[in-house]
Amino acid sequence: MKVLVLALAALLPCLAASSDADPGKSLGSPNAPIRIEVFSDFECPACKGLHEQILPLLMKDYIISGKVFLVSREFPLRMHQYSREAAGYATAAARLGKYQQVADTLFLTQTTWEVNGKVWDAVAKVLTPAEAGKVQLLAKDPTVLSEVQRDVDAGIAAGINQTPTMIVTHGTSRFPVAGAVNYNLLRSMLDGLLK
Amino acid sequence: MVSSSKIFRVVVLVLRVVLGAVFVYAAWTKLRQPWELFAMSIDAYILLPYWAVVVVARTLPWAELAIGLALVVGRWLRVWAGAASLLLLVFFVLMVRTYVKGMQIDCGCFGLGDPISPRTLARDGSLLAGYLFLTWAGFRDRRKAA
Repeated sequence: MKVLVLALAALLPCLAASSDADPGKSLGSPNAPIRIEVFSDFECPACKGLHEQILPLLMKDYIISGKVFLVSREFPLRMHQYSREAAGYATAAARLGKYQQVADTLFLTQTTWEVNGKVWDAVAKVLTPAEAGKVQLLAKDPTVLSEVQRDVDAGIAAGINQTPTMIVTHGTSRFPVAGAVNYNLLRSMLDGLLK
Repeated sequence: MVSSSKIFRVVVLVLRVVLGAVFVYAAWTKLRQPWELFAMSIDAYILLPYWAVVVVARTLPWAELAIGLALVVGRWLRVWAGAASLLLLVFFVLMVRTYVKGMQIDCGCFGLGDPISPRTLARDGSLLAGYLFLTWAGFRDRRKAA
């Protein structure tokens, strides 16, 4: 029961997230010794791989136990026609505490909407009618659009030019991890930093 | 009047120090961060098994440092320039192969933000030409000494 409560606490959006992290897009304790910012693009296949294969392992091994604080950042690439629209819906959904559900479905159905362009159809599936209405309005809200752009600007300022890129921060050290990730190597690095 | 052999010696000296510094810099960018980051760059080429990725990631930066320092110092030029040429030839072939296959990955040469592109291929190709020239110069000096 205790473990379940802890796990749920980690899975809930962090109300006490640090000021520059959208609480709706963060997982784990903001006081964790390691912070990982994931810059991704919903239309990028390697981001889908990271989201579906690596993030669940990170969650199990490091986030639930309070060792890693994970922040999702939007980095829609110009080469992808619908990724900014998808980032807008996801960021809007984060305002309702539905970011993870929307991110999950966007990556799950990536190969469909990137062809037919029906991004909203994928998003709407995981929302109630009331939530869907709010997300559609929020997606056009200037504050949501500027939040997406802030993430992009932060990524460019950090020298990011491909997705996915993770910025691993431990103390004053920042380490960028670009492209597809081998989890054994990532785990070895995180364990080394935690020693 | 400056003799052509003197100009040649100056060119070799400048190239040796600059190209040695390039290897030292490449080593420094890898050694200042956890070795796993360079290992991930190697792994992205999808060429080596996991154990080999680990071995290369943990040893190659030290080899680059040793070769770079030896080039700057300038002893046994043909040996160290030859080693640098061989190493860079391997890197270059792998980068060309990766580019031709359309894989969009970082080259792993000097840290993050260095995706394989015509620019990186031109840069590494030029460096390779420089190391090959130094190797030739090293053998030429030895023949002259003999």
